[in-house]
Amino acid sequence: MQDQTSEQELKERLSLIESMIAEGRRHTESWGWTFVLWGLVYYLAIAWSAWGQRVWAWPVSMLIGVIVTVVVASLKGGNQPETTLGRAVGSIWIALGISMFLLFPALGLSGRLTDQHVFVAVIAALLGMANGASALILRWKVQLACAVVWWVAAVAACFGTDAQGMIVFLAAIFLCQIVFGVYGMIADAQERGRRAPIHA
Amino acid sequence: MRRSAGGALQSMPDLPELNPVVHGRLRLALLSLLSGVEEAEFTWLRAKTEATDGNLGAQLLKLEEAGYLTVKKKFVLRKPQTLYRITETGRQALTEYVQALKQLLGPAIDA
Repeated sequence: MQDQTSEQELKERLSLIESMIAEGRRHTESWGWTFVLWGLVYYLAIAWSAWGQRVWAWPVSMLIGVIVTVVVASLKGGNQPETTLGRAVGSIWIALGISMFLLFPALGLSGRLTDQHVFVAVIAALLGMANGASALILRWKVQLACAVVWWVAAVAACFGTDAQGMIVFLAAIFLCQIVFGVYGMIADAQERGRRAPIHA
Repeated sequence: MRRSAGGALQSMPDLPELNPVVHGRLRLALLSLLSGVEEAEFTWLRAKTEATDGNLGAQLLKLEEAGYLTVKKKFVLRKPQTLYRITETGRQALTEYVQALKQLLGPAIDA
């Protein structure tokens, strides 16, 4: 068979194999919208709690975020295949969601969520952990940079005034949720645009 | 490795043959896609390859007949779903194909 096969065609076959394997494993970039959505949820909760609803602002905002995530995810990717890598990354984010969903309402309802510095530091550290673990699994430097920003925000939140701590939190949300999410969505769209139909 | 004036590779006794079942572009893409996931739906494979239903179905059938894929049909919310999974034989055939490709290309692989 290879009598008629040119070197260029063989190289093209090799690159087709690599791109298709990568395609099957590509997951996080398709989830860019969730980072943007949760960034907006955090902003909503912060604005709402600034208006005086400190106890209910976070649990209600997060509940809205969970409902929207589940509905959009089921509409978008009902036929997505499962991979070990995808399950590992998904498990980290689900575990983070459960931890935050249990911890923060409990702190709010018990009246122990009084120190804003501790609140921001805990959220930032949790998000740094989840982003860091995902980045190490996926070997994704951009997400690792987000993890570093969250870790820096967690440490910075322990110092300075309330206002300074809040500015650090808002900036970290903007960089690691909104900007990173939009970057993921653009990368996903570009990847889809580059794909050409494959014929037999 | 010898090449003709047109760049075609000359057949030599010590060079490996490329498996014709795996060599087809769409079949190769399907095996590669399935090697990276546990199992995949027909619609997902169609979206990733952008092939037509008829062509995709025909190539999947060839791979199934060669023993490289298994097919499972089920209903989810009363909608039919066809799931494909690569077999050990399929994985082995893909690995051997990649090794043969690399052997054929030789030093040209990095060029």
